[in-house]
Amino acid sequence: MIAEQGRSNTCIKNVTGTSHVKSQAHSALLLDLFSIFSILEQIMNIIDSNILEKFGAEKSRMLANGTAKHFTFGDTAIDAALCGETYNPGLPLAQLHEIHTAEPEDSSSAAALTLLLAARARMAADTPEQPIAWVRDCGEARRQGRLYPPGLVELGINPDHILYIDAADSIAVLRAAADAVRCAPIGAVIVELAGKNPKGLDLTATRRLSLSAKKSGVTAFMLRSKAAPMPSAAYSRWQVAAAPSKALAANAVGHPVFDIILMRHRGGLDGLNARLEWNRETRSFQEAPDTSVVPALSGIRTDREKIRARA
Amino acid sequence: MFLPYLESERIAKKYAHAPDAPLTAPFALIEKVKGAMVLMAVDREAAHLGLGPGMKLADARARVPDLKVFDHDMLADAALLNQLADACLRYTPMVSACPPNTLLLDISGCTHFFASENALAEDAEDRFDQTGYSLSWALAGTPDAAIALAHHGLREGAEAQLPISALAMDDKTHRALERAGLYHIGDLAERPRAALVTRFGLLLAVRLDRIMGVEDRPIDPIRKLANVTTERRFAEPLTHIDFAISCLEELFVEAARQLEERGQGARMIRMMLFRCDGNIARLAIETAPATRDAALFKRLLKERIEALNDPLNPGFGYDLIRLSIVATDALEIEQYRLEGGEDKQGNQAALVSQLSVRLGRAQVQHFMPADSHIPEQGLLALPALDSGPPKAWDMPKAGEPPMRPLHMFDPPQHIKVLAEVPDGPPYRFTWRRKTHRVSRYEGPERIASEWWQRRDGQQAGKGGLTRDYYRVEDIRGRRYWLFRHGLYGMEKTNPDWYIHGLFA
Repeated sequence: MIAEQGRSNTCIKNVTGTSHVKSQAHSALLLDLFSIFSILEQIMNIIDSNILEKFGAEKSRMLANGTAKHFTFGDTAIDAALCGETYNPGLPLAQLHEIHTAEPEDSSSAAALTLLLAARARMAADTPEQPIAWVRDCGEARRQGRLYPPGLVELGINPDHILYIDAADSIAVLRAAADAVRCAPIGAVIVELAGKNPKGLDLTATRRLSLSAKKSGVTAFMLRSKAAPMPSAAYSRWQVAAAPSKALAANAVGHPVFDIILMRHRGGLDGLNARLEWNRETRSFQEAPDTSVVPALSGIRTDREKIRARA
Repeated sequence: MFLPYLESERIAKKYAHAPDAPLTAPFALIEKVKGAMVLMAVDREAAHLGLGPGMKLADARARVPDLKVFDHDMLADAALLNQLADACLRYTPMVSACPPNTLLLDISGCTHFFASENALAEDAEDRFDQTGYSLSWALAGTPDAAIALAHHGLREGAEAQLPISALAMDDKTHRALERAGLYHIGDLAERPRAALVTRFGLLLAVRLDRIMGVEDRPIDPIRKLANVTTERRFAEPLTHIDFAISCLEELFVEAARQLEERGQGARMIRMMLFRCDGNIARLAIETAPATRDAALFKRLLKERIEALNDPLNPGFGYDLIRLSIVATDALEIEQYRLEGGEDKQGNQAALVSQLSVRLGRAQVQHFMPADSHIPEQGLLALPALDSGPPKAWDMPKAGEPPMRPLHMFDPPQHIKVLAEVPDGPPYRFTWRRKTHRVSRYEGPERIASEWWQRRDGQQAGKGGLTRDYYRVEDIRGRRYWLFRHGLYGMEKTNPDWYIHGLFA
């Protein structure tokens, strides 16, 4: 390119050298030629740098995929199921993951699962001391209740590690979240948005979060309750519901149990479901037995439908 | 600086822009005192006609039949005086407003921009004159002397000619002194001090000393002195906001250099933009850690200006921009490693500062353990800007399920519960118009009220209601924290039930 330009310059010089006595109109034409050359050169430069940039970004992305770290639930069955084609158990870090509530009443369970996953992601990234930023809009805090620090301790999370951000509306939430995700020393970011279609939340917003997460290495979680299905750039989308706990002595309420369903996954693993129980001591999830209410007499009752079918 | 017609000039200014009802002097400001309308302030023309504060309105009307009256508004006058005091900050950082109509400026060492102290005072007089306030000023070694001289229209050195009333003692003392033939301060100063003290008390001697310049007293400035102040004056006012912002950034760099020499960083930055018509725009930025980072300041300033309710309006332009660092913290000079690297701690703190500036300092929080057994006290959250050393949290017993909810309602929400009397667990409850059947429960966990906070709390029935908490799970698997408010039959005949939190 440079050589070519040099050549063209000399060429013009030759021309000018031979045409000292040419008319004024001619020199004006030459000036025009000059400007056209310089514009062309600029355009070529821009195109070149764009191509280079793209190529470089692609390469770095490919490299990143190869070494991308994952975080797990801690339960072998679901982690293995999440392997897919990447041979890495669990979900990738530095991505946006969405967690939806099955019903509005399940919002506390969904919040807990998100928080626990964020804590596990932070552990997997070897940054267990870095804060988790929780961005929430204050209207939701009023409806849903406020985050209760002693309750966090009971789940095995140090409340000192939570940076709680109360924004005025969904746009402020997304803005604050985008800033938090860009900030590499944050362990994980949880964005809580309620309502069917929060203002400002669209494919672009989620894509922005997801790209920033990829760039800074911060794992982001989008916690949605009462959400309508909408396109999003998240890596995975889970639906969470509370599940009956395993009763302790005297029919006391046991450890938190969640029913999770994988609704969407970039690796095409959707439909995966599990019932997980959180173990505070090992800081991991484990598979919970299905203890849903079973009719007491089912064992000796005749299954009339089966009999009818047989007949 | 004494503003004798502050009140009337405020009214005159207010009506200057009303073309349909031009204000014609004389007029007076009145207030009802003990059932009579009394003149509180008069304008210049009325003063020349012999009217003055303290006169009854009826008497004044008898002398000047076409006297106009307005209501006296002390608060508005005080606000105006404060505004004028702020405007005087361009001369010295030590400005004190002495209501009702005196401003006190400590200009020692502040005359760089003027030929002399007199030139400074004349400049102030000009500016006040332009904005429509008449002013009489005096320079003196002590604040009291300056006030007394300015009130009586005298200049420095004329203390002896001041009347006795300049002492601002009570009427009885003034009358007694005049009856003794002492009409001026000078007469009093010549007298032996001991006799005056025995007759009139120590206060007279103190006041006399202060006026004569023997004893000084400190003044109470309207703004506390900042650690570092940098400012820029413009011959031609800045009319574009971008220039003002870039000027602020330059000022911060200057201030940061000064702070660096002291090993300090800025925690709180105040900015004042003086508009040439006397209006002052104020901005403040608080940062989570001490900082000297100009890039961070730039970002925070942008956030601050975006978050303003009424945007900055340069109007006719800013002629003085001042940046002061009000609070500082120790900040050592840092050196990055040769190969570079990221300042992780700094980045995180920068995020906290940025969000606090944008959303308000109370919106970015960190949690603190509360020293109380009352559950809702545990919601304590402080602004993340004021982060202190972390405190220890109560750790739960190993193997136990969570005893405290993840979300808490403050205040608790009322629910309808079907439960056994007197103190049985809930069997079924209705919350937000949905009925939940309880399948598992644990409780009660009895939490007594803080009876010591109440009067006669130690006596039965006066210490507040006891709460019986139950952790319950409904048949769908959702876990709730409910409580019965009051012990059945002992504290309350029919206790109410509330939901206080939601478990994971």
